[in-house]
Amino acid sequence: MRYPHIFTPLKLNQLVLPNRIYSTAHAEVYAEAGGLPGDRYIRYYEEKAKGGLGMAICGGSSPVSIDVPQGAWRPVNLTTDRVVEPMARLAETVHRHGMKIMIQATHMGRRSAWMGDPWPHLVSPSGIREPVHRGNCRAIEIEDIRRIIADFGKAAARVQRSGFDGIEISAAHQQLIDQFWSPRSNVRTDEWGGSLENRMRFGIEVLRAVREAVGRDFCVGIRMCADEFHDNGIDHEVAKEIAAALCDTDLIDFISVIGSGADTHNTLANCMPPMALPPEPFVHLAAGLKSVASVPILHAQGIRDITQAERILAAGEVDMVGMTRAHIADPHIMLKVREGREAEIRQCVGSNFCIDRMYTGADALCIQSPATSREATMPHVIERTRGPKRKIVVVGAGPAGLEAARVSRQRGHDVVLFERSAAVGGQINLAAKAPQREQMAGIVRFLDLETKRLGVDRRLATKATAGMVLAEMPDIVVLATGGRANLDQEPAWGATEGLSVSAWDILSERIAPAENVLVYDAISTHAGFGVADFIASRGATVELVTPDVKPADDAGGTTFPIFYRRLYKLGIIPTPNYWLESVYAEGNKKVAVLRNEYTDEREERVVDQVVIENGIKPNTEVYWALKEQSVNRGQYDLEALYSAKPQPVLGELGGDGRFALFRVGDCLSMHNIHAAIYDALRLCKDF
Amino acid sequence: MTIATAISCIFWLAVAALLMGLLRRARLWSVGQSAPVDWLGLFAIPRRYLVDVHHVVARDPYIARTHVATAGGAVALMTFVTLNYGFGLNWSVLDDLIGLAAALMLVGVVFVWLRRRNPPSRLSGGDWHRLPYTLAAFALGIAALVNLTPGSVLSLVALAAMILFLAGAAELALGIGAGGPMKHAVAGALHLAFHSRPERFGGGRSTGLKPLDLDAKDYGIGKPVDFKWNQLLGFDACVQCGKCEAACPAFAVGQPLNPKKLVQDLVAGFTGSSDLHYHGSPYPGRAVGQHFGTRDCAIVPSLIESETLWSCTTCRACVEECPMMIEHVDAVVGMRRHLNLVHGEAPGKAADVLANLRETGTQGGYELEHRYSWATGLDIPVARPDKAFDVLLIAGEGAFDMRYQRTLRSLVKIMKAASVDFAILGGGELDTGDLARRLGDEATFQRLAKDNIARLRPLAFQRIVTPDPHVLHSLRNEYGALGGRYEVLHHTALLADLVERGDVRISRAANRRTLTYHDPCYLGRYNGETDAPRRLLSALAFDVREMERWGMRSRCCGGGGGAPLTDIPGKARIPDLRMADAKATGAGILAVACPQCTSMLEGVTGARPEVLDLAELVAAALELNP
Repeated sequence: MRYPHIFTPLKLNQLVLPNRIYSTAHAEVYAEAGGLPGDRYIRYYEEKAKGGLGMAICGGSSPVSIDVPQGAWRPVNLTTDRVVEPMARLAETVHRHGMKIMIQATHMGRRSAWMGDPWPHLVSPSGIREPVHRGNCRAIEIEDIRRIIADFGKAAARVQRSGFDGIEISAAHQQLIDQFWSPRSNVRTDEWGGSLENRMRFGIEVLRAVREAVGRDFCVGIRMCADEFHDNGIDHEVAKEIAAALCDTDLIDFISVIGSGADTHNTLANCMPPMALPPEPFVHLAAGLKSVASVPILHAQGIRDITQAERILAAGEVDMVGMTRAHIADPHIMLKVREGREAEIRQCVGSNFCIDRMYTGADALCIQSPATSREATMPHVIERTRGPKRKIVVVGAGPAGLEAARVSRQRGHDVVLFERSAAVGGQINLAAKAPQREQMAGIVRFLDLETKRLGVDRRLATKATAGMVLAEMPDIVVLATGGRANLDQEPAWGATEGLSVSAWDILSERIAPAENVLVYDAISTHAGFGVADFIASRGATVELVTPDVKPADDAGGTTFPIFYRRLYKLGIIPTPNYWLESVYAEGNKKVAVLRNEYTDEREERVVDQVVIENGIKPNTEVYWALKEQSVNRGQYDLEALYSAKPQPVLGELGGDGRFALFRVGDCLSMHNIHAAIYDALRLCKDF
Repeated sequence: MTIATAISCIFWLAVAALLMGLLRRARLWSVGQSAPVDWLGLFAIPRRYLVDVHHVVARDPYIARTHVATAGGAVALMTFVTLNYGFGLNWSVLDDLIGLAAALMLVGVVFVWLRRRNPPSRLSGGDWHRLPYTLAAFALGIAALVNLTPGSVLSLVALAAMILFLAGAAELALGIGAGGPMKHAVAGALHLAFHSRPERFGGGRSTGLKPLDLDAKDYGIGKPVDFKWNQLLGFDACVQCGKCEAACPAFAVGQPLNPKKLVQDLVAGFTGSSDLHYHGSPYPGRAVGQHFGTRDCAIVPSLIESETLWSCTTCRACVEECPMMIEHVDAVVGMRRHLNLVHGEAPGKAADVLANLRETGTQGGYELEHRYSWATGLDIPVARPDKAFDVLLIAGEGAFDMRYQRTLRSLVKIMKAASVDFAILGGGELDTGDLARRLGDEATFQRLAKDNIARLRPLAFQRIVTPDPHVLHSLRNEYGALGGRYEVLHHTALLADLVERGDVRISRAANRRTLTYHDPCYLGRYNGETDAPRRLLSALAFDVREMERWGMRSRCCGGGGGAPLTDIPGKARIPDLRMADAKATGAGILAVACPQCTSMLEGVTGARPEVLDLAELVAAALELNP
């Protein structure tokens, strides 16, 4: 029996769950207007159900009261009866596949941006501003408290009416309940503040109202933080007291535990541990609460691998493991495990593309799996074609090319994949060179294994020419030739004269970092900081210059704090708001001329080396050589592409030597990994 | 002395020799334990011979026709000699008939001779190579004698014919007493009369092991004398044709087992001899000529090494092939019982598994509650005494295996789609004890069986359905002797029934894929069920390609009889061999119907057909109502 602990059923109140893996509540940002789960939302969870997951908790931070702004993260709106019908559809859909579903309910208190409908005046125990969300707020009054407690009860009744299997009350990430618990946000002196008993009063009243609304047999759990990591916050010992006291109330059926507070940028980055953190960084905190709790302990955070989950369960540290991002990357994990196909799991690498998007108000998408949350149009399982078997040539084995080869092969076609380098992966191999970013290589690992397993004819260390492509007699040519470091955009940078080098040169270790280095980042995503970190980690003095408002400006809410921890630790000098105008030589030194965006004043830096990250410039040689001969002259039918329909030209191919030509990924223009893989999937799924 | 008188003398001399030989042989058989026998079986010999034995022999048309001519000619010839010279009728027409019968016999003998010029490796040599010559001598001699001008024996021709006749008669008459090849005729006929499983005759089936009376301290076969007398008689019937050897999967992969030699060693044992006179294939990897025994000596290790006994997969291929209807598996398990119950022997992983069975009621040492963990969320009721239902689903040990859980899920999906009223035992299901029994641990088997019977007694179900043929066999064929009698169905029978009655609709559209079906030994040979799986496959519209060995003559996957646990080394692995059979068909799918077969065949590495249970194939084709 493999994974004996994972596949030992768990009873939560009357629910019996078939295995010990679940997906925790997270902000999907998929709900439709008015906070109702629609088709996209339901399909997203149905896919997990199809994939054999035992339970999902949906609707991260779904509000129970109308004074919580709902614009930013589009949560499920539990404040209205209108939510019952679509939630019932969701429950019915996933139940058909045998999955249980719960929803997280909360009042966020001060943990919101107030600017947005309905422009509420946020409430919090003591009216102290929340830093991360700029949560200006007022001190909550007794009438508010009574109203919100009653709202929790009404929301719970709606959840139960919709046929859901349970409800999770959030007292984690500094929501209103743990704003009462935490001395950081509760300095009241009345019966709602002061002693721990007083600070717990609100939460227990909420649970009582919920229990009263749903009865004894409905599953009710609570999610809580086991250590806020703030000197004036809830520490682990207090969290244990809280957990024990909650169990004593006999109101809850489980406790879901997270580590880290979440009301500062730096603690927030811990909550969904990015790849820089060690695996399962906070399982010891969950185990600590388990030592005092009389109900099952559930825990997620950086548990991405099924054997890791089995080991944690076997050690008795927790009773159930959440693998949420893991299921965003691959909703069919449990099915693959049951079928002994673990090697086919697309494993989450912790890049936090999903959650970093959410912090800009965008929907959660997976860096690796473009089908996730696009289930209506994009397949997770690629079916074999019922049409003709084709010969497909893919040029370039970066993420776009690998995905194109994988999908085409799974469609049943003969696929030849050319790659100039000896290894597949393209630019991801460079991205994985940056310190703290090594796990990016996991994205390549899956595509590498799959293209090998499926029998793609991979011609590595082979630089494809138009002649070589045509010699294969292709029906379809997919170019995924990527690009090269874009240094010749500004001749004054002196790249051709060797005055400056690219981030690629450094990360690929073609050129060794010098001792005193200026890194110029004109893009402000992960690469610029990555190369600065790479150089600084080798002992060099690094100044990181960018025209943007701060270094790594586009790196996302859970990633830039990791970068900044590194920046201050390594002494990288941040110089935002400066353009690099030119570089000239002075003896064996380089002089970089910088210009301030806002004052136009110029400054000079005398350094040993100037390293520039300016994105990429597409490789188009093979494209131009093939374009005129192709049936479609290398063009997409954009209407078909954007509506996820097959390219019309596919119907014109007859195996007569004529071929269609497409480009995917960065060889069109610089995108990112998700976009590259999405380009390939949306094109090749119809081959 | 006239020729007629001489023939008469030789005839009566031969009869006397035969009877004395038979008496001597009967004394050897009688050292065995008493067994209830039906003396009326003597009258059943012709029918059992002409129908049941012929049914087996006819699979090889060459030897069947040869034997009809040789033995038929010989029996006719001897009948006419008995009438004409034994009873002195002296009819010339009988002499003519003797000539005809001799001619028929000679034709047969020629074909015997032809076969033995270049014999298949399974055939024993030695004395058996003599047979065409002595039989030809017999036929030629008597034919010449009766057709010579009546007169003195002293003519040269007559003398020569007489010598030939004498030599032939000696082969026939002394064979039984001296243990020559012709003892098979007498012992074989008596074996048919006093067979230990008379239910097998007339198209019947008897495959369940007989329980030991443990209270009477019956702990199996330790010495030749521990066999029942009619089992010893059965061993004596062996013609050393080696059909068993050719069918034995353990022999084929070079494990130290050869059923033919096993039987011959047992003969050597109860006759107090050795294998020095054995001229057939050895136990692979073991020298011939070093095994000896007496009826009172322990069989293991001097007569038979224990590795030989632990190599057997109990697949019954040898029994199925044996034209003399010898029961090799009863002998093997009988001796295993002694090794296990008396000496505590259980090689390899077998000891751990038996301990698990004793202590946990599961082979893997799991908690009973976990047997149906995979079914959580599938809403299968757990059987209760107060609620009658139709089908009790017994999953067996496969329920702990994640691979096999896919089959079980598929089965449940189909049963639900067909609205079968079924329940499970949940944490109440103990192992049937089948494996313990094959490994010789009869005590554990009986304890588990009695416990299971007690657990089933209060429940009101109509039938048991199981996807595990080993569970099926023990419940259907072996629990009865301990008081548990049930209607037991294999899942393939249930599924065929559901599909044929239209209780589930299946799509045929997706198919025409090539497939070959591997018959599980415990479903096919043990229970005669080879048809329902094939009906299902044809309903699913697969392009079914049979392997060379299929149906009742299928080859074992290597997973039976605890062989994967005892794991006696050979030169190759049985599942690899079976997979090669499957690959030879070119089929893309290897369909199975047993958890053991699934794990053995899926364990084969390298490129191979996909291994799928019939339940998985049906479930994939299921048309669910929207």
